[in-house]
Amino acid sequence: MEIHEWMVNYTRQTEWIDRRGIFLWIAFYAGGLGGGLYLVSLYFNSLWGMFISWLIIAVIKGGAHLIYLGKPLRFWRIITRPNTSWLARGIIFVFSFIVFAAIQLMFSHWLPGSAAEIAFKVLAGIAALAVTVYTGFVLNTVKSVPFWNSTLLPLLFVLCGILGGFGLSVIIALNGGNIALSAAETGSRWLLIINALLVIIYLWTAANREVTGKKSVMEQMRGSLAPVFWIGIVLLGIIIPLTIAFTSLMMGEIPPALLIAGVVCEVIGGLALRYCVLKAGAYKPLVAILR
Amino acid sequence: MRWGMVVDLSSCVRCYACVAACRIEHFLPMGMSWPRLVALDTGGDNPAVSTYSVRCNQCKDAPCVEVCPTGATQQRDDGIVWVDQDKCVGCRYCVIACPYQNRTFLSRDKDKGFFPGVVQTDFEKAGKKIYTHQVGTTEKCNFCMERIDTGLAKGLRPGIDREATPACVNTCPARALTFGDLDDPDSEVSRLIKEKKGFQLHPEYDTDPSIYFIDGKIGQADAIKVEDDSRQEPAPTGVER
Repeated sequence: MEIHEWMVNYTRQTEWIDRRGIFLWIAFYAGGLGGGLYLVSLYFNSLWGMFISWLIIAVIKGGAHLIYLGKPLRFWRIITRPNTSWLARGIIFVFSFIVFAAIQLMFSHWLPGSAAEIAFKVLAGIAALAVTVYTGFVLNTVKSVPFWNSTLLPLLFVLCGILGGFGLSVIIALNGGNIALSAAETGSRWLLIINALLVIIYLWTAANREVTGKKSVMEQMRGSLAPVFWIGIVLLGIIIPLTIAFTSLMMGEIPPALLIAGVVCEVIGGLALRYCVLKAGAYKPLVAILR
Repeated sequence: MRWGMVVDLSSCVRCYACVAACRIEHFLPMGMSWPRLVALDTGGDNPAVSTYSVRCNQCKDAPCVEVCPTGATQQRDDGIVWVDQDKCVGCRYCVIACPYQNRTFLSRDKDKGFFPGVVQTDFEKAGKKIYTHQVGTTEKCNFCMERIDTGLAKGLRPGIDREATPACVNTCPARALTFGDLDDPDSEVSRLIKEKKGFQLHPEYDTDPSIYFIDGKIGQADAIKVEDDSRQEPAPTGVER
């Protein structure tokens, strides 16, 4: 007699992370990173930053979403029904950003300072923020996965995206982009601290939500996800970038290679965070084991 | 009118006839099963094997309908939740949202054929014409709505007349499955639920499933004391669906 483990044990979701689900993980992260970079670039008024963020969202995020879909040629059906779910609204945000930011980039290049440029910067900025935040809502509205069912998740994803945006802006600044390096570093520093605190609060609240939420947290800290959590999120995503950030703060100036290494670690940390959130999402058993 | 089902756990003899009947009725690919039998060792001092027949719960407040971004998953006036495969984009949000894990994404590897690379059976050939399954979309039990609709058009009564009743219910040799109208207080399902204290799976999700269980103790996972923690760990890899 076959025992269906997924019915009688706490089982994690697989569709949005295993096999082709990896593309959804990449799409979710690329949305946060691209949106965050656009917002940071708006702050610094960096045309290069805005262009790179447009590429990240239009090519990487859009492409990954399309590859993931079982019937990609029907994607247009999603954007015609914004009233249905956050996934539909999110894809509309992505398309809006791609259109608004493309128009804004053209205005910024050929008609800088025009009213139209400012108007499209505002529109694209709103769309970028929506792209950054919607993945959190996609997940936290799923009642059946207690680990995701938290109001903190959208905030965590937004801050993680903006942190990645500050990180990439450091690299743009090092390559002569129109960004103040010290300001980008300061932004990174603060966001790293806030993000680290938010990750702790998120895990603590998830662990106290219900048994399934606790299982998800334990799976990350002690289970099969522990290497990704401790090395990816804690070491590469928090400790190393923070160490580099504070070394830079105290010494005044550090080699650009070290700054770039810190940014790479931040990006890996962000990827690891999204990976763990998706991978650890678990359902409670359909059938209780009677004892 | 709201169609519903009652599963008598004490009657089920785990013969898998319901699973087979559904496969035949809907020409299901090898990797796909709409109803499933959950068999488990109850553990403890007097271990026994228990079996539960589960399928899509046709929830009144279905999370899968709420999240579907294309409107492919729809709910009819009679409560049946079904998937329009021509509209499904394959995002799998419904699979994620279902607290009962009773939706399946039909990937290419689930539709290899009964004898991959050797021969396509006449059954498979007939299925390709009569009941197509689109790879890249999501599927689930639909209470045999085609049988219900055809039967009603002929003036038959689902749950009473076999021609208008779901295939799994017709086939169950132990009469563990009962089908009928939940809104009709005189129907067999309403009587069973009332007399035998039928209960739904995971009522805490407020989905109001249309499938009730009687004579068993399932669905109260959080109330069970976790004695063996290793047994309760999330499955480390993707599991069969």
